[in-house]
Amino acid sequence: MSNKRDSEAPLIRIRRRDTAAVAALGSMVLILFWLFGELGLLETVVAIATIAALSTFYYLTVRTTLNPLPDPASRREHEASGPDSPANAKLMLDSLPIPVLLIGAGGRIEIANPAAREFLGLGPVTGHLSAVLRQPQVLEAVSAALRGQTVDPVEYSMMAPVESHVRAFVAPVASQGDPAQPWRAMLVLSDETSIKRADRMRADFLANASHELRTPLASLAGFIETLRGHAKDDPDARDRFLGIMFDQTERMQRLINDLLSLSRVEMDEHVLPGGTADMAAIIDDVVDVLRPQITEKSITLSVEADPATAMGDRDQLLEVVMNLVENAIKYSEPGATVTLQLSNDLTRDQAERPGLLLGEGASRLTLAAPSSDAGDRFVAVRIRDAGKGIERRNLPRLSERFYRVDGQKSGPREGTGLGLAIVKHIINRHRGGFTVESLPGAGSVFTVFLPVMKRMPKTSQTPRA
Amino acid sequence: MALSRTAHIVTAYGEELDQLADDLARMGGLVETQLEKAIAAVVRRDASVKPDIKAREAQVNALQVDVEKRVLRLFALRQPLATDLRMTISALKIATDLERVGDLAKNIAYRAGDLAGYAPVSLTQQVERLGAIVIKQLREVLDALSSADVEPAVRVWHSDDEVDERYNTLVREMLLSMTEDSGLVGPGVHILFVAKNLERIGDHATNIAEAVHFMVTASPLVEDGKS
Repeated sequence: MSNKRDSEAPLIRIRRRDTAAVAALGSMVLILFWLFGELGLLETVVAIATIAALSTFYYLTVRTTLNPLPDPASRREHEASGPDSPANAKLMLDSLPIPVLLIGAGGRIEIANPAAREFLGLGPVTGHLSAVLRQPQVLEAVSAALRGQTVDPVEYSMMAPVESHVRAFVAPVASQGDPAQPWRAMLVLSDETSIKRADRMRADFLANASHELRTPLASLAGFIETLRGHAKDDPDARDRFLGIMFDQTERMQRLINDLLSLSRVEMDEHVLPGGTADMAAIIDDVVDVLRPQITEKSITLSVEADPATAMGDRDQLLEVVMNLVENAIKYSEPGATVTLQLSNDLTRDQAERPGLLLGEGASRLTLAAPSSDAGDRFVAVRIRDAGKGIERRNLPRLSERFYRVDGQKSGPREGTGLGLAIVKHIINRHRGGFTVESLPGAGSVFTVFLPVMKRMPKTSQTPRA
Repeated sequence: MALSRTAHIVTAYGEELDQLADDLARMGGLVETQLEKAIAAVVRRDASVKPDIKAREAQVNALQVDVEKRVLRLFALRQPLATDLRMTISALKIATDLERVGDLAKNIAYRAGDLAGYAPVSLTQQVERLGAIVIKQLREVLDALSSADVEPAVRVWHSDDEVDERYNTLVREMLLSMTEDSGLVGPGVHILFVAKNLERIGDHATNIAEAVHFMVTASPLVEDGKS
């Protein structure tokens, strides 16, 4: 209460002394009258009492309504302006990112810090708490706290307009001054939506990973059973089954490798990579490794590579290019053309937002973006496939783990669903960017761009945790 | 409520109007959570929410009585005029509507108990979606009431068509699947009742929107071409 008024300069100074002096003067005059016999004793006493009462009343009214000065105790405290002063507490409260409210008698909001105003959409005028927060559990907890009871934290969820989960801490606060309302309630809100969401994501991830592992495992178990049973003495079936089983174990291996590689990348995500990588050489290596798949699908691969060196971990960047080119081959029709383009020394805009490469109607989305300065230059690798293309609404989910654009099944030949997630994490670690442009029916262009080697930030490397 | 914040000479009068708004907001909050819980219960086919919903229902009824008392008191002692008069009258109407919404939510929750006896029906997803829209409607109109804003109230009023449309689709599809599979008739009837109740709640939300509109602008909410 008091710290709110400190900022306003007092308008009129009403001093106790002045009021007392006026009252004393009046009383003196009355006593003089009595002494000279003008008034009776009773009248004098009554008149003096009236004057005293009136002046007290006047003093109190003026003090509380016209010019509400803080009470002397808190003023002294404030004038001391030590580290414990209420002004400091208010400053801290104002910059606190957590919504904090003080609720007075009748459920009226007395203090709300800016975070609370933003969180509840509270205007400058404060009214009842129920006008902005209708949750019955919270209102009940606040009422209990106003009666001086301690209450357990309350959790509430809202489904509209967006799903959110909030935990509310309510505590009674003894208020000085007004004996009729001895308690006020402090309300602290903590938004736990992201925690809940992360929780659900983890559960989803576990469910997905187990599901992906179970499918090949179930088929393995099935074949083993068949081999032990009626296919025992059939060498042809045995060979075929063993081949399938080998494929399945390979698929599981791929998945586990990807999971491990993802968790490794995630662990290092905040450690800047040291060293440099010759991107042209990486592309050559990738093309060499994938040559069998390219010839198998009779895909024409056109490579336009400028010499370019990026900052980063060669092995990880190789994994990025490998994943993207593999995807391009996988999702292109046989006989189609896949284009690989390596450009050097691009500005951020040239790297992230070139003119639409697939023509009118294509949509583009940035899946990972670095924070860069105006002068930064980038090496960009663009991989264009001639696949079916991806619809706009599916683009944001591309780098989610185990996400597959609808209609795609995970089969023995298909990917693990982790490739783009790995790419995104590696690119994040390299402070690079990752964009996708796609037009259904025409194909997709995946672009990764990485900072050009210039100043070596060896000194700014964060130590490994 | 913003309206009552216009200063009254007699502070106790303003205080009473504030209290009325506070009661309405509390009622709204109770009804809102009741409805959310009831729909979740139907989706999960969970009969355990019954006692909780019942207790909330009693609270809502008590609040409605409280609102009526306050309104009577205001009329008897303060003879409200203009904005205050409209607010007092609207409060009475809104409280009645909210109480009805509470009743309907309770009915929905009771249906959850009946549904628990059947196998899951795929159409509950549609009920959930209809429920989400109705919750949104109710929430928006209650926000409009708290902030005394006309614009969101009018929006709610207009989007009631969407609720009706979804309700009709649901009924059509339900009837279709019931004719195909007579095993669906049992749970289907309960689902139809739930949907009907949700549609009624949507109507009450538009009633509240009308009351808010009248309270703020002093003119009824009408549109050409809509009876």
